[in-house]
Amino acid sequence: MSCATTKSRDTKHKKILLMGLPNVGKSAIFSRFTGMHVMVSNYTGTTVEFTEGKMAVGDDTYTLIDVPGVYDIKQSVDDAERVAVSMLEEKPDAIVFVVDALNVESSVYLLMQVLEYKLPTVVALNRVDLLKVRSMRIDHRVIQAALNVPVVPTIALGGDSLDLVKERLARDLASPDAPHYVLEENELKRWDWVERITARALKPLSDNATIRQDRFAFLIRPWPGLPIAIGVLFLMFAAVIGIGMGLRQFLIMPLFEGIRIGEHTVGLFPWIRAGVEALGITGTFQRVLVGEYGFLIKGIEWPFGLVLPYVLSFYLSMSILEDTGYLPRLAVLLDGVFKKIGLPGNTIIPLLLGYGCGIPAILSTRSMRSRKQRVAVAVMISLAVPCVAQSSAFMFLLVEHSLLALVLVFMISVFAMVLAGFVMDRIKREPMPLTLTELPEMLAPNPALVGKKLLFRVRHYVKDGAIPMVIAIVVTAFLYEFGILDVAGRAMAPVVSGWLRLPEEAATPLIIGIVRRELAVLPLIDMNLSTVQLFTGAVVALFYVPCVAMIATLAKEFNAKVAVGTLLFTTTTAIVIGGLMARLGGLLATWLG
Amino acid sequence: MAVMHEMLSNNAFATMNRLEKGEEGVVYAVPDVRLLASLGIRSGKRVRVLAKSFASGPVIVDIERRSVVVDRSLAAQITIRK
Repeated sequence: MSCATTKSRDTKHKKILLMGLPNVGKSAIFSRFTGMHVMVSNYTGTTVEFTEGKMAVGDDTYTLIDVPGVYDIKQSVDDAERVAVSMLEEKPDAIVFVVDALNVESSVYLLMQVLEYKLPTVVALNRVDLLKVRSMRIDHRVIQAALNVPVVPTIALGGDSLDLVKERLARDLASPDAPHYVLEENELKRWDWVERITARALKPLSDNATIRQDRFAFLIRPWPGLPIAIGVLFLMFAAVIGIGMGLRQFLIMPLFEGIRIGEHTVGLFPWIRAGVEALGITGTFQRVLVGEYGFLIKGIEWPFGLVLPYVLSFYLSMSILEDTGYLPRLAVLLDGVFKKIGLPGNTIIPLLLGYGCGIPAILSTRSMRSRKQRVAVAVMISLAVPCVAQSSAFMFLLVEHSLLALVLVFMISVFAMVLAGFVMDRIKREPMPLTLTELPEMLAPNPALVGKKLLFRVRHYVKDGAIPMVIAIVVTAFLYEFGILDVAGRAMAPVVSGWLRLPEEAATPLIIGIVRRELAVLPLIDMNLSTVQLFTGAVVALFYVPCVAMIATLAKEFNAKVAVGTLLFTTTTAIVIGGLMARLGGLLATWLG
Repeated sequence: MAVMHEMLSNNAFATMNRLEKGEEGVVYAVPDVRLLASLGIRSGKRVRVLAKSFASGPVIVDIERRSVVVDRSLAAQITIRK
């Protein structure tokens, strides 16, 4: 999910590699150098595939490649490491190596491995500003002298220090001069050497400054970590609903439905209705435009009036949460619990992302090492995690009828997710990969960065979410007005009316719900359904086909078998559970009177 | 193995998973697992347990201001001199 080209290799231009440890700001530097947007997060493994873009150095244009972060390329075991090594072996024209000021030792160790390839290299000593938090400072000249490689202190997220890297790069590319440095073959001795350099480069800010340890360790301890986790997730949920509803009620709906000024109602929909009338369009075509599924009304109201406010509020909350560094801590806190269903704690990140959109969520599982785990998480998301569009449809459908039903739907979602994970773990047991990682610094979110990320995700929603939704609504409007959906409804009556106890017309959401998740919900709104029927409809929609784009993603990321399997599994679950819920709900309703 | 056993029964040594929250020590012996060295877990390094996650979750240790997350079963293979 990136507007930068991925994988299509550019052979015309000369190449520069951008390398370093994970989570040191490579993607931030890449964005600044190329002007392209790349997903940047405060946790490890955001970039798994490499991304490339154009960058001007001096008078030449180069292709800059954002190589996934690795710790060690000597024993390349995982995908990211193999990518890094193969890129080095292709002899790029230069390397920009990012040394993390917060982690000089491991950075320099990797830098030494990279320097063995004897390519022109410029070092960006990044995040020097954050050393203050640790009451430390760094002398970049120590590293420069020890390794005989140019070192430029930088702050990737602000300032113009990166221009100095470019200048230095331009000079080096004009007169390439291979670096020579102390080559220490014995691994242990190499670490000793790196430790000595690091000790010389890093200095306390003042003699009496004490080096503080992680002040946020309490977030990982069961107490108070667990209550805090529940609080944070609840706060996020409340913020998404609160901000979303506020935006919809006070900003977007007044714009669409109009506000009364004197005798006139001024707004988009009144204008559209008046316009269609003024053009003298009547009958079926009028209804196609502004009727039941009239796409000039529903095609605007559903994607932009109903869903967009929640897309904004969800991604605002998510982007803030991602930048703080809290998510990896939550992952560590829950690691032991997730292992009970055979998954690592950081599964929580794709699951949370899934409440936004399933596609980036499935892509984010690429950083997991086991394929079985990736498939398990993808199935859990496809089956039981409603995307933000579907969640907003649930809210709109149920909030006025029964808050209890709404809460129940989300509880069923979580329960089904856990159950699916548990069952898949029992079907195929596999030794758990060991959890071994480091926690990023807790940082205050950078408003500019959060804004950029939000804009990127909203643009992505409009392009890949809203436009397909509008097209689906246009098609539906025609099918509905020409009576084709009626025929389909009668054909599906045994399932829809007989088993699910919904009216025949509820076949429509099941048909168009294949295209988009929320379209399995939205048509139910105007059907005057009972609370039990609304609940049944919502449960069916929750488990139903996880939208065409997600099926395609499953096929691309795994294979056709996984995609078709998920499709059959989710659809069957939806119908079976839906029918059971209709009966259970019916019993409950008569029992409650 | 006998030497190892003697070391562990001697209170000066413990495996990392046995340390309590807040306890400190110096890494004495590490298994041959990749990334351990890169994450700073090498013999001679001073570590301090920041937290132990529940449900047999990982041990989180401070090593020169880095917070490193170590699987409980891996921590059981790392010897610390207290």
